[in-house]
Amino acid sequence: MPALQTTGLTRRFRDSGGFGPFGDRTESGDVLAVNDLDLTVETGEVFGFLGPNGAGKSTTINLLLGFIDPTSGSMDVLGHDPTSDSRALRSRLGLLPEGFDVYENLSAREHLRSAIETKGADDDPDEITDRVGLDPDDARRAAGGYSKGMTQRLALGIALVGDPDLLILDEPSSGLDPKGIKLLRTIVREEAERGATVFFSSHALDQVQKVCDRVGIMADGEMVAVDTIDDLREQLGTGAVVEATVDQVPDLSPVERLDGVREVSATDGSVRVTCDEPTAKMAALRRLDDAAAVRDIAIEDASLEALFEEYTSRTGDAPEAEPAVAAAGGDD
Amino acid sequence: MGAYTVARDDFTNARRSYIVLGVIGVFTALVGLIFAAEMNIYDDPYRVLWDVSALVAFVFPLVLAPLVYLSIAGDRISGRIKFSMGLPNSRLDYVTGKLWSRLGTAAAAVLLGVLVGFVIALATYATTPDPLRFLTFAGVTLMYTLTFVSVFLAISAATTSRARAMFGALGAYFVLVVFWFGFFPLVNLRTVLDAVGSLLGTELSETARGYLTMLSPGPAYLQSTELVYGGVLDQYDVFGQFEGDEPYDQSWFALLVMVGWTAVSLAVGYLAFDRSELG
Repeated sequence: MPALQTTGLTRRFRDSGGFGPFGDRTESGDVLAVNDLDLTVETGEVFGFLGPNGAGKSTTINLLLGFIDPTSGSMDVLGHDPTSDSRALRSRLGLLPEGFDVYENLSAREHLRSAIETKGADDDPDEITDRVGLDPDDARRAAGGYSKGMTQRLALGIALVGDPDLLILDEPSSGLDPKGIKLLRTIVREEAERGATVFFSSHALDQVQKVCDRVGIMADGEMVAVDTIDDLREQLGTGAVVEATVDQVPDLSPVERLDGVREVSATDGSVRVTCDEPTAKMAALRRLDDAAAVRDIAIEDASLEALFEEYTSRTGDAPEAEPAVAAAGGDD
Repeated sequence: MGAYTVARDDFTNARRSYIVLGVIGVFTALVGLIFAAEMNIYDDPYRVLWDVSALVAFVFPLVLAPLVYLSIAGDRISGRIKFSMGLPNSRLDYVTGKLWSRLGTAAAAVLLGVLVGFVIALATYATTPDPLRFLTFAGVTLMYTLTFVSVFLAISAATTSRARAMFGALGAYFVLVVFWFGFFPLVNLRTVLDAVGSLLGTELSETARGYLTMLSPGPAYLQSTELVYGGVLDQYDVFGQFEGDEPYDQSWFALLVMVGWTAVSLAVGYLAFDRSELG
């Protein structure tokens, strides 16, 4: 049974003329922050929700929580409809929100005490602060003086109260130092082992790839890819893109034949070689240099941004003919 | 227990800043000063309560405005609302909690102020103060306080920016107090009613004017203090304004006006917040 499912979920914001959310603009000038989103997250799954800033991730999360209402479409989160049953849903859910702020004169312990009270849980605040790596002294002083990372640890602690069935973590790694990020990963794994479903949003692939079973990539309000991390890594490759400026584009078949080279393309005066193996980069350059005069080279890491671009341009070229959304959910 | 927890967090947070101390301190100091200043003018402490009520009617809303106007709007601006609303609190829990917290601070100021006035009166006035009069005074003043806290809370619940919340609160003060009492010679309720009368071609009746004048919490509060001066209305000229047999001259009508403003404000504020989008 899925922990979370959306069908045709759409949210349009009226463009007030001022600064508004990003996303596709319709003819009427409205902003489609979330566009016809079909998403399924299975119970017990750790789902990475990826996308660049402004892709519609936080809008989706606000919809899932019932903080805002959809323009159309439906949702089922832990068997509840967030538009009508938000409170019952939130009693079984742990939330680390984006743009969270504290009561500046209350300590972390006091925040946790209130969370425990409101959820009717029986957690020990000290155990939670310890688990999220808040120093006992810090946990007792006013949260207004916390650093961004400490506030984020507190927010994570609040999300963990009451052993929730579903954790929604919106950019949980922002503000955390490498140690904090490692701790976050450990906690996500522990929670998944306990049986909780984790919905983890991030704009950076490296934050989610080590813990997530599957990831979905969102761009301009649409889910452009949903896949397991292994398949995605295969598409990303472990190598990079070599871009060489040549005086004349030669026959590229010797480069294409190289092991570890996935794709070669050329536009006037420049050749792009996508490599799966790191060692293929130099070999490809040598072959290119044999056939033509290479004037300049540049190497791009196959970053998530590149993948975003690839997916978004693909949807832009053929919006109807090629559905870019892979079957969400299923039996994996 | 959602509303209680929200109220406790909000109140504890405010208690450790200067806002609670400020509101209580300002009000208590003003009441104390009036009692101290008039000890050689009047023998009867209840006469001083009248002067205190005038101060409360005109000035206290201006003390309550900074206490309340950001209670909900401020949480939305900062993102603090995501703490309470990420937990299983209903929107009613949240609004109720904020109301109790801010009202608690305001009520503490009123009660402490009246107590200080009573103690000064007991110590220095020729006539012994009547505890019942002081309690009644505290009661109607709490009603007035509740009314303005509700109005400001409703504005805070319905707005999402600091500027709008501030203009809303100040606007409410100017309309309900400055305009209705007629502090400005030209722009006030009387001149507007005159204008309406001449547009309609007939003067508004005295009864209609009487009701309209009493429809703001400011005048209604002053009218409601008639309950404080039972049996002594003939002692001072200033109490002459309580004469009148029309329903709008009665303290029950005045209390009804304040209850009405409170109920409507809270309902409108809650509905606006319930329908609003967070995040």
